[in-house]
Amino acid sequence: MRDLCASAVEAALAAGASYADARAVVRRSQTVATKNGRVETVRDVESEGLGVRVLVGGAWGFACDRRLSNEGATGAAQRSVAFAQAAPGVHERTLAPVAPAGGTYESRVERDPIEVPLDDKVEHCLRAEAALAHPQVTVTQAFVRAQRERKVLVSSDGASVEQELVECGAGLDALATADGAYQIRSYPSAHGGWSAQAGWEYVEALGLEREAPRVAEQAVALLSADPCPAGRTTVVLDSEQLQLQLHESVGHPIELDRVYGTEAAYAGTSFLQPSDLGSLRYGSERMNVTADPTSPGGLGTFAFDDEGVPAERQTIVEAGVLRGFLTSRETAARIGAGGGGSMRADGWSRMPLVRMTNLNLEPGEGSIEELLADVDDGLYLETNKSWSIDDKRLNFQFGTQIAWEVKRGRLGRMLRDATYTGITPQFWGSLDAVAGPQAWVLSGLTNCGKGQPGQSAHVSHGAAPARFRDVQVGVRA
Amino acid sequence: MIDALETAERAVAAAEADEAEAVVLAERSGFARFAGSEVHQPTLVEDVSVSLRLVVDGKVGVAATNDLGDDGLRRLARRAAESAASAPAEESFPGLAEPAPLPTVSGYDADTAALEPDDQARLAAAAIDASTLLTYGYFTSGVTRVAVASSHGVRAEQTLTDATALVLTAGDEMSGYAELTSWRAGDVDPAAVAREADETARRTRGARPLEPGPYAAVLERYALAELLLYFSYDSLGALGLLEERSYFTGRLGEQIFDPRISIADDALDPAGLPKAFDFEGVPKRRVDLVETGVARGVVWDRETAARAGNGHVSTGHSPAPLEREWGPLPTALSVAGGEAASPEELAGLVGDGIYVTRLHYLSVVDPREGVITGMTRDGTFRIRNGRLAEPLVNLRFTVSVPKLLSEVPGLTREPIVTNLNDFYGARYPFGVLAPALATVHFNVTGTGSGPGI
Repeated sequence: MRDLCASAVEAALAAGASYADARAVVRRSQTVATKNGRVETVRDVESEGLGVRVLVGGAWGFACDRRLSNEGATGAAQRSVAFAQAAPGVHERTLAPVAPAGGTYESRVERDPIEVPLDDKVEHCLRAEAALAHPQVTVTQAFVRAQRERKVLVSSDGASVEQELVECGAGLDALATADGAYQIRSYPSAHGGWSAQAGWEYVEALGLEREAPRVAEQAVALLSADPCPAGRTTVVLDSEQLQLQLHESVGHPIELDRVYGTEAAYAGTSFLQPSDLGSLRYGSERMNVTADPTSPGGLGTFAFDDEGVPAERQTIVEAGVLRGFLTSRETAARIGAGGGGSMRADGWSRMPLVRMTNLNLEPGEGSIEELLADVDDGLYLETNKSWSIDDKRLNFQFGTQIAWEVKRGRLGRMLRDATYTGITPQFWGSLDAVAGPQAWVLSGLTNCGKGQPGQSAHVSHGAAPARFRDVQVGVRA
Repeated sequence: MIDALETAERAVAAAEADEAEAVVLAERSGFARFAGSEVHQPTLVEDVSVSLRLVVDGKVGVAATNDLGDDGLRRLARRAAESAASAPAEESFPGLAEPAPLPTVSGYDADTAALEPDDQARLAAAAIDASTLLTYGYFTSGVTRVAVASSHGVRAEQTLTDATALVLTAGDEMSGYAELTSWRAGDVDPAAVAREADETARRTRGARPLEPGPYAAVLERYALAELLLYFSYDSLGALGLLEERSYFTGRLGEQIFDPRISIADDALDPAGLPKAFDFEGVPKRRVDLVETGVARGVVWDRETAARAGNGHVSTGHSPAPLEREWGPLPTALSVAGGEAASPEELAGLVGDGIYVTRLHYLSVVDPREGVITGMTRDGTFRIRNGRLAEPLVNLRFTVSVPKLLSEVPGLTREPIVTNLNDFYGARYPFGVLAPALATVHFNVTGTGSGPGI
């Protein structure tokens, strides 16, 4: 693969490129899902190919080929140059300098999840699902996934990197219905469970079977729970919901390519400006956010990004002030800051984009009980159910699967159909406590969308439960 | 482009199983994406994927690859067999589809298939040059070849073309949006799309906030198409109905919407993005979902039809092999047009309300009740005295789709196909044929930023 990439880079330079990089990717992924006691999916997918990105006269070009052959590599290189040459107008681009990257990286795993027999995976799901059984639970489902991705990057700036990323994850859902009502509970999160760069031991540690009875009971109990009231109140978000809050209202706005407008027509832009760096108050003094592609077990963990930039922990928000953006070599050159490695592509058939890696809300102190103890009247919200944010990442609305009334520091009755809404800087400005390291969890999601043609990124977020004051809750249709 | 049917047949031949079915999806596409009036993400894609589903002793397994060599297909067959062997036998599995005559449909245009990267760049330039504002968006065209072959004798192949010009134009605190899609690139004029976006953008400067609350509204086709797509995920497919996630659960045969509302899924309509068969090779058919406001049905594949019994059969809506867990979903929604000549005429029917060009980041809040939240963007206006009035900032809405469709003063005459493909994974063109619509019920629950980028 390394030789093929080198051939592609050479062919691109020979065709007129001033810069070229080539990535060869071989990916294998498995999905096992069971539903209502029967096997719904047993899937084993392989994909391989090579993508070539070039700069010609300051214009980007990208082309790819599924054939890992010299013919495929040189053909993709020539097509990418031709497409760059066809770009209308005058172009000027500078890439921030980077030391030639060389080396290898492999995820640390105890038991390779791809090598775990499929029937073990089926059995794991069926056992977990059986534990969801309840007369009013009408749909039960459990799933596990595993992926191995081997990729090689060679660039005309001297990068020559080989990495093997192994990840896996799991989750389950219980859907309860009665008299026209419908409720869902999930574990460990909604929308595909949790994943990590880890071995099968991670899936076993999630303990799906252990958690299933609670999940089912809560789904059923929600059918007769009172709806979340409307008003302004104190909310405590669990780690899972907070991770999505972080993803949508911090992770995407700090992507510097969005700030410069490259996603404007689709995913949107950002309320942030390049000039906000170092001065914009993003949130309260309690807010400390880092982007860390070296976090052990994160889905955004690697040694080098897809431009050959070495992984490095970056401060994003420090004591509530914006200190960093996620950058590419191109955007880093524009702003004169950045680094740390944030450029990633979805497989071999897409261009790298600025993506979140492992974006973490740094822990504060104390336990969740201590967070709740300082809530006289409020809500504890768990597990995302719906999510939406505007094109500049300011106005958001989230719904959670379950809520708990908090009265005089103690959890009270269960509430259903909880929603909360806010404006990003005001909301983070209302953060007055983050629980400590014991409550901090790093977990990954695999469906972060961006780019056209679309790309799904695998990213992780670390967070402990946190408390926000004066939040609008209970939005209704 | 490869012979997709021959590849599918080779994959079936490589399998040792009671039943085998191969689906091939081949793509050749070009994507000239631009921002700030400059192409910044030009992407050429050539790929082929083969999915093989095997049934062994009643056990079902699926594997996929893009290695089409003999060794690659043999490995594919072995992995599919291993997948099947790992699963318990499925008594409810209806078996693979039998061959059936396929409808003749349009959907392929040789001129579109012949577009080269130079052409895609030129057509993107046409959009960029037609606007006096900064432009963001893309021109894309592609060829998709789908083939299904099985040990039951299914032999189905179709070559599809599609082209889309999508443009957002923006200036200081103003932005507008337009999009046009067709299976014939000749029908897509990127410059006209850019001019439409420009015209909208220029009316958005000076946007004002709006007090949250219930409003009447006019939704342009872009907004209605996206809202219906999200509603369809739970409510218009058989799996949602069987799992009681659907708003249609217990309501089939009832008057649920305004009598002006008729919705079908019609992949045979040449005005859309036509398709002859689904991913099991079952012929596509028109399905009436809502007739004059009455809930009539949902779309089915063979598996959900077998589970439901009661005489249900597949309507030709089996999802792609790697997306089967979603169940059958409509991919060619079509909303019948009304009497109005233009969205502006609908504003006259509304009298006092808001005008929405486009939506952003929708999410289903309550599937069973069809409640969806999202934002408006790139062209939101107040309607006063039946006319478009001052521009508004982006609005957060949280609406019940059934309530929104329960009182509809009018729709525009001509439904137009709106692309809803974000081009994740393999290319498979789809969209919604939708007119613009006026509604009495549109619930604004907050405000966001102003227009512009």
